[in-house]
Amino acid sequence: MNGPFGLNTWSMLTLKVLESKNLTKWYGKEVLALNNISFEVDEGDFFVIIGPSGCGKSTLLKVIAGLLDYNAGELFIKGTDVKQIPPHKRDISMMLENYALFPHMSVFNNISFGLKMLGKDRSTFDKDVKDSLKLVGMEGYENRSPLELSGGQRQRVALARALVVNPGVLLLDEPLSHVDYRLQRKLMEELKLLHQRLGTTFILTTHVQEHGLSLAETLMVMNTGVIEQIGKPNEIYTRPQTVFAARFVGDINLFSGEVSGKQGGVYAVKTALGELKVAAAAGKDYTGHKLAYGVRPEAIVVGEEALKCENHVQAKGINSYYFGNAVECVFEMTGGVTMKATMAPEVAPTLMHDRAVLGWSARDSMLIEKPSVIEGLNIEEVIYGK
Amino acid sequence: MAQGPVPSPGKKTSGFRIGGYSSYLLLVPGLAIATIFMILPLAIMTVVSFYTTAPSSTGYLKIFTAQNYIDFFTAPNTPTLLLNTFSLALIAAVICFAFGFPLAYFLTFRIKNATFKNYVITLLIVPFLIDASIRTVAWIAILGRDGIVNYALLSLGAIHSPITALLFSRNTLYIIWLQTYIVFMEFPIYLAMNRIDPDLISAAKVLKAPPHRVLYDIVFKLSLPGIICGFVFVFVSTLGDYVTPNLWAGGVQTLGLSISRYSDNFLWPYASVLSTMLLIISVIVLFISFKVVDIRKLVYE
Amino acid sequence: MECTRMKLSDIGIRAYIAILILLIYTPIILMVVLSTNTSGRISFPYEGFTTKWYNGKPSGFEYGSYISAYYDWAFWIAFQNTVYVAFAAAIMTTIIVTTVAMTLRHRIFGRNALFYIILLGFLVPGVALGLGNNILFGIMNWQFTWWIAAMLDTVYAVPFGLILMMARFDPDLMLYERAASVLRASPLSVFRRITLPLIRWEVVSAAIFGFVLAWGELIRTSFVARGTGVISTYISTQLAINPITPKWYAVGTIITGISIIALVFMGFVLSRGQK
Repeated sequence: MNGPFGLNTWSMLTLKVLESKNLTKWYGKEVLALNNISFEVDEGDFFVIIGPSGCGKSTLLKVIAGLLDYNAGELFIKGTDVKQIPPHKRDISMMLENYALFPHMSVFNNISFGLKMLGKDRSTFDKDVKDSLKLVGMEGYENRSPLELSGGQRQRVALARALVVNPGVLLLDEPLSHVDYRLQRKLMEELKLLHQRLGTTFILTTHVQEHGLSLAETLMVMNTGVIEQIGKPNEIYTRPQTVFAARFVGDINLFSGEVSGKQGGVYAVKTALGELKVAAAAGKDYTGHKLAYGVRPEAIVVGEEALKCENHVQAKGINSYYFGNAVECVFEMTGGVTMKATMAPEVAPTLMHDRAVLGWSARDSMLIEKPSVIEGLNIEEVIYGK
Repeated sequence: MAQGPVPSPGKKTSGFRIGGYSSYLLLVPGLAIATIFMILPLAIMTVVSFYTTAPSSTGYLKIFTAQNYIDFFTAPNTPTLLLNTFSLALIAAVICFAFGFPLAYFLTFRIKNATFKNYVITLLIVPFLIDASIRTVAWIAILGRDGIVNYALLSLGAIHSPITALLFSRNTLYIIWLQTYIVFMEFPIYLAMNRIDPDLISAAKVLKAPPHRVLYDIVFKLSLPGIICGFVFVFVSTLGDYVTPNLWAGGVQTLGLSISRYSDNFLWPYASVLSTMLLIISVIVLFISFKVVDIRKLVYE
Repeated sequence: MECTRMKLSDIGIRAYIAILILLIYTPIILMVVLSTNTSGRISFPYEGFTTKWYNGKPSGFEYGSYISAYYDWAFWIAFQNTVYVAFAAAIMTTIIVTTVAMTLRHRIFGRNALFYIILLGFLVPGVALGLGNNILFGIMNWQFTWWIAAMLDTVYAVPFGLILMMARFDPDLMLYERAASVLRASPLSVFRRITLPLIRWEVVSAAIFGFVLAWGELIRTSFVARGTGVISTYISTQLAINPITPKWYAVGTIITGISIIALVFMGFVLSRGQK
């Protein structure tokens, strides 16, 4: 809703810090990077955008920042239409994927750059820079050159640099990508703490879904220029709306199936594994529909317990992967179909190539209607890959 | 715990080596030519500047004297000479920069098509290839007594008789030099700009830098090696260019001009004195510029 | 977004550059046009079209400025000389630039000193070098050959060519060479099979660059030229003693034409070299 002076009063009133409507962007004439993207970000939220490489999340972030232009649609930051507003006039700040620290300036000058551009009083720089460095745990590094720093240190300086200008929205482009595993965990914790302390809205992109799940207050899954699903992480995890979202967020066993009937709140679904049961949700009746049937690996039990479940199948163990706190076992059923199950190490079958019974409840299974938000995809192709 | 020698932190391994001494062997041609045709002549020239001028088979006698230098420094037109030479070269370099910098910027950041870029660069080199004399003579067609400017002005009735002074001024020199040396200014700047990580510009923009600050704080400062390089190239080239002032300066004397005159008359010692002065000016400028900026950044690491 | 403001400065830059190109090329265009003028002097307005300055048959009494370009045998000798010199310079420049570039990549003893010495070839005023060389040859009693003129041009071209080549080196080149040597390739093989193919366009541009610089070089060459000389010295001496006629514009047009062809070729080569 566009009011006078390009202000979106509704989003101003409801504290939506960012609002995108039908945002579309083409690269040249061939590549559609953003396809009618519409979403909102609440003030103070930790908003994470995940998706595979090339899905458009970096493009989206750059469009929000103002580094890239868009072809159609509207974008409002704090209620103002930003179509004509260049990056240096938007109330945002950004940490780029490769940090982009200015090599010809010291750490101090890098961080105070934004302050200098804003025309702030020089005498306040010292304090602001110090505070900023303290926030990221890099006190004392003011006079170093960026070229002397390690990757992790550069990242912190880049973060400090982005934060010192007190932005309304902080954009982070793949901050965890070029960092090793140990450091990733530490960084995630620090980002979360920072967010709690500052209360600034964070918008972060990553292609690693575990990071997305851990960090996000609101999670958005993207796929080649479209939004697959937005919601709270656990919503997306337990109730994915598309096969793509189900696959991308967490691990899942998927089969195509046809709903043969409904009995007492439970659907019977014909799949390659035989007839499987899944709890029916209120609303639409899926009888007769061709859908995807899914169950997460952690919901599967092995052995005697399995026989008590609504769903059970005979299987043969073919492989197992030890993760220290859990074991992921791969089983093969008749017809060559495989399934993954995760369980505590004590419970995992000690002998592979042995017969086992797998079982899971109807309540833990899910039915997914759409392969993807993208039109025209065949559900079986999406499940099994082309 | 036994360990081999650990390389100290500052030392990088030098990568692939073509075997120990072969590297030095490869340098022989380059060093040989540089020594014989550059260092040696310059050294001899400096020595000759101290010889006495006398009519002889070589034009000088091998008697050391400082008379030449004394003559030079006490001659009445020397300060003007030095000043002219220096200021001409300086202004020429500044003008080339004024055109070369936007050009390099345009080529780096506004043109995406690589082929187009190459054609523009090639286009700039064409004037350089047209022989030096003809290049200058071509300007007669524009600024000469019967040139197009005069012709236009006459037909428009702005003036009643052709202006002859158009051709014989310093400005002609500047234009000709711009035409010739713009490549030397533009190319190093272009190379330097190309090396700038585009993300740095993005970062500056999101850090609230308005376009002109991005230009100054990022683009300008990071292409400084190239700028200085180009500036020095043009400065030195114009410093020693006697051909152009010869034809057009309309009385402005430059060192280069004097050198060529003395040379033509076989007055080697005096020519050498002037030449050595020229050399000293260049070396000073070089030294200052390379202190300001490390040109090696343009080329290695 | 940045649309409106950027567009203004965009237009500004384009206009600025258009002025520059105009400034550079107007005299050249006028030169071409006037070379066909019937008038015996450089003047406007244009009197009539003629090709006499190009191929008018001499009647035996003309001198310098009035012999048409085609029949000016002295000019063609100078032209031939220029081609020799430029080729020689191109070859030597390529060899030196490549060898020096190869070694300067490594941290050898005296690397910086070496770099600056080579760089001096370009940074020292041409007059000084010309004079110095002239004196040197007088002392050594060396004969002037075109190879020597080519040497001077090489000293001049190498620094610029070196910077061009090294600035465009692929930073991974040393990694590839190392990989090859680990796979037991001898240094010569590494150069032949790995390095050379990867830098061949830079090498070619160094050659072209050497040629181009030698072609137009006047200042240094003027000190060492003998006889008819190269194009640049020939024309400058002729112009000093002859009046200026469209004949020289015809000559200029011919040279320009050849240069443009050569440069289009160079542009083609360069664009092949860049990814």
